[in-house]
Amino acid sequence: MQLDSAPRPAPVRARLRAAACLLLASSIPGARAAAAATTQFDASGLLYGELDRAKVVEPTLRVMRLLDNGQSFSAGLVLDAITGASPSGAMPTGRAMTTTSASGTVTNHAPGEIPTSPFSDFRGALELGWHQPLGGIVATDLVTHYSREKDYQSIGGTAALSLDLMQRLTSVTVGGGYDYDNVFPVNGVPVGLSPVVAGTGGPPDEGPTNASAVTAAAATGGTSAAVKQVPSAVVGVSRILTRRWMVSLNASRIVQRGYLTEPYKIVSVIDPDSGTTVGSITEQRPTTRDRRDLLANSVYHFGTGVFYSSYRYYWDDWGVRSHTIDLKYRRDLAEETFFQPHVRLYAQTAADFFRFGVVQGEPLPTYASSDYRLGPLRSVTLGGTYGFHVPDYPGELTVRAEYILQWGDGHPSDAVGVQRTLDLMPPLHIATVMVGYTRTF
Amino acid sequence: MMTRSRVLWLLLLTLLAPLVGGCAATSVKPWDRDLLAQKSMRFVPLPMESAIDQHIYFSKEGSMGGQEAGGGGCGCN
Repeated sequence: MQLDSAPRPAPVRARLRAAACLLLASSIPGARAAAAATTQFDASGLLYGELDRAKVVEPTLRVMRLLDNGQSFSAGLVLDAITGASPSGAMPTGRAMTTTSASGTVTNHAPGEIPTSPFSDFRGALELGWHQPLGGIVATDLVTHYSREKDYQSIGGTAALSLDLMQRLTSVTVGGGYDYDNVFPVNGVPVGLSPVVAGTGGPPDEGPTNASAVTAAAATGGTSAAVKQVPSAVVGVSRILTRRWMVSLNASRIVQRGYLTEPYKIVSVIDPDSGTTVGSITEQRPTTRDRRDLLANSVYHFGTGVFYSSYRYYWDDWGVRSHTIDLKYRRDLAEETFFQPHVRLYAQTAADFFRFGVVQGEPLPTYASSDYRLGPLRSVTLGGTYGFHVPDYPGELTVRAEYILQWGDGHPSDAVGVQRTLDLMPPLHIATVMVGYTRTF
Repeated sequence: MMTRSRVLWLLLLTLLAPLVGGCAATSVKPWDRDLLAQKSMRFVPLPMESAIDQHIYFSKEGSMGGQEAGGGGCGCN
């Protein structure tokens, strides 16, 4: 009977085979490069839609080429076509109203509706990366990027050094970056907390081509552009704990300096008794922001699937604190086929200067913003990714669909008059669909 | 009563303990790394998906950071 049954490989033999492969792969980079694929091509397309607000189409391309000695070069291109409407910062009033954005755009709104301003933009971003091993346990990564849109430009780069320790059980990474951004609002840089002048023109991104835009420009400080500088640093350590489990902890700090105000956002001026809007002013934010976060990651292999979990704590000197929990479980259905459900929970406190509006007759604060993204925000993401391989065709495909719900406390205790009857921070419904393709050759 | 910063540091040290300590207790030999060598065993197994997510959340929330150093590179927030 024993002669008829094929002997099954002992577990130790399978492990020795895996070890031999790993040792070959890690110690002879040239041999690895010759035997394995040397180029990876990635492409994706994102459709992003907010209910009654912004819509985005975002194609992405990326190529990574593995060179000799473990070096690699990568290039990526991201394009964003954005249309729709964005909250102007003005408060709803319970009656039909007309608002004027900081750039002079006039928009009509239904009763109780969050006022929005129409906009459109196109953004292109190019990223180049270089990976260079230095000996067997040290590696450097250099990345530079350039992005441009109608009223914003960013150029910058990051550098990171990673060190493998303890037979590659532990990896330590130290990195830093610097971005130099230029902001050139359509009608110039508005003076903070200044009255918004009514106009009758089109969307802010159409540019100062009509009389209304010139009228709105009266609120600007006479400058057409402003600068934002963003140095950053990150320190991280990752650790293999068991054959199935690895964890990491990253700490990063980002210091923004310069023009950090949203030039198109406004703050409503409300009547102290009725709560109705009697005017609006441009918003004003501090010129520095010190942002820090801690991110803990865990990846655990169950045998038939992989569980990814992370927790991030974020805090900054604007008073924003946030907690983010991200959970994914990749369930392998067959070879090169998987399904990965995703849940993300997010909660943040409001910035110290966030307010739904300023009361007429009261002294103006030093800083004020009604941007809901600086408010007491909550967010939940639910979705899933399906990855598969089409027989007889090279490469892997992924299809992802997600739903994001954002909401906040829209009934502040200091609301007055009609504002008490309205939800000042109603839920925002977002849907995304993404298709991705990866091929190595 | 512990302050919030002390709680934070305590949490940090608790998280760091298994990262930098326990070397003798944790010894995953090279021939035990067959699962760890799989493509799915990465902190960011789908980098493009992750990059798009970071862009979405950066533009819709008041927080940023986490995976890597870098600023916004986008006028969306």
